[in-house]
Amino acid sequence: MKTKIYLLVLFLCLCNWSSFAQEQKMTESEIVAFKQSVAVVSKKIKSLSTDFTQYKHMAFLSKDIETSGRMVFKEPSLLQWQYKKPYSYSIIFKNGKILINDEGKKSAVNVGNSKIFAKINKLIVGSVSGDMFDDKEFTISYFKNKGQNITKFIPKDATLKKYIKQIELTFDKEDATVVQVKLMESAEDFTRIVLKNKVINAKIDDSFFTN
Amino acid sequence: MLKSTILFLRISCLLILVLSSCATNTVVKDFTPATFEITTFVAPYFSNPEIDYVYKANITVYGNELTGIFIAKKINDTTHRVVFTTEFGNKLLDFEISETDFKVNSIVEELDKKILVNTLKTDFRLLLRNQFLINEQFENATDKVYKSKDGNRFNTLFVSKAGEKLYKIVHSSKTKEKININFVSENNIFAEKIVIQHQNIKLRIELNYFKQ
Repeated sequence: MKTKIYLLVLFLCLCNWSSFAQEQKMTESEIVAFKQSVAVVSKKIKSLSTDFTQYKHMAFLSKDIETSGRMVFKEPSLLQWQYKKPYSYSIIFKNGKILINDEGKKSAVNVGNSKIFAKINKLIVGSVSGDMFDDKEFTISYFKNKGQNITKFIPKDATLKKYIKQIELTFDKEDATVVQVKLMESAEDFTRIVLKNKVINAKIDDSFFTN
Repeated sequence: MLKSTILFLRISCLLILVLSSCATNTVVKDFTPATFEITTFVAPYFSNPEIDYVYKANITVYGNELTGIFIAKKINDTTHRVVFTTEFGNKLLDFEISETDFKVNSIVEELDKKILVNTLKTDFRLLLRNQFLINEQFENATDKVYKSKDGNRFNTLFVSKAGEKLYKIVHSSKTKEKININFVSENNIFAEKIVIQHQNIKLRIELNYFKQ
C-alpha cells in the first residue's frame, strides 16, 4: 500500500515537473511587461480580420470536430463570426442585435441590454484582440513557454461560469497578438480556435456587418 | 340488463378491433401483407463504434429555430452518447441512451425541461436504435415494410427493395402516427440527411452530415 502511495506521489511530481518544463509561470515583472506590450498592440486595433480553424475536442470522440471560417471586427463593437466549412453560418453582433445567416436563412435576435450577451460579445472581441485583462471579471494567471505567452482566465460571473470554466489565450511573443483561444468546459471537453492570416486596421465599411 | 351489457361490451370490442386495425393500416395502407423474410431488422446508420456521427442540426419548435451540432457515438454494445452543442462548441446537452437506460450527463438550464428531455429521449432512442424485432411484413412493387411492436406502440420501417436502404421509420400508436424519421443515405453506412418530424407537436429536427 505504502509503495503504491509513494509511486502515485512520484508520478504526480513527475507530471507536474513535465508540465513545468513546457509551461512556466511568469514573474511579476514579466507580467507587467507582457500586459503592457499587449495593451499597446490592442489599443492600435481599429479593425481586425482573421481566418480561424475551430477544433471541438471531446474525450469520447475519435477525432476533433473541425470547422473553419473568418472573423471580422471593427471598433467599437461590430463583430462578424463566419463559418465557411463544412457549412455556411454567420453570426453578427451589432448594436444589441444578433444577426444570423444559416445557409442563406436569415434571422435576427434582439438582445437589447442583455448583460450576458454584452459579456459574450466583449469576450469574443477581447479574446481575439487580447484586451481581456479585467481583474473584476476574471481570475487571471500568466504563463510562458519558448515562443509564446499564455494567459488563463477564470470567469467570476456565475452565469458565464456555467458555460465556460476557463479561457486560455495564447499570444505570439514576437508581435503580442493572440494566436490561439481555448474555451474549456472541462479538462476532457474544450474548444480550441487557432487564428491565422491576421489583418489589422484594413478599411472595413459598416455596411459589411449586415445580413 | 346483463345481456345488454355483454352485447355493449362485444360491440365495443369489435369497434376497437376494427378501428385499431384501420388505424394501424393507415401507416401501411398502400402495401399488401407479405410473407416473413426476417425476424430482426438491423438499422445501419448509427451502428459503427468507430465512427463519430457528426451533423449540423436545425431544430424548429413551435416556430422557434435552434441550430447547432449534433454528435452521436456508439460507446458500447448497448449505449450511444449523444451531445448537442452550439456552432461555437458550447455543450447544450449530453445524454447516454440505450434501449433500457437513459442518463443525463449535462444539460443547460434553459433546456432542462422534463417534457423536452422526454421528447428528445424518445426521438434519439428511436433514431439510434440498432435492432427491431419484426412482427409483420408488407410490400409493394418498390418497397418492403417491416412492422415492429414497441410496448403499446409500433415502429414501421420502410426499406427500398432496390438498395435495401432504410428510408423511413414511423412511430405510431394504435390510432395515430406520432413521429416520422426520414433518412437519405447514399452508402447505407450513414445517413447524409435525417428529418425527425413530430405529428402531434410542432417539432422538427433536421440533421445534415458533416463533410469534414
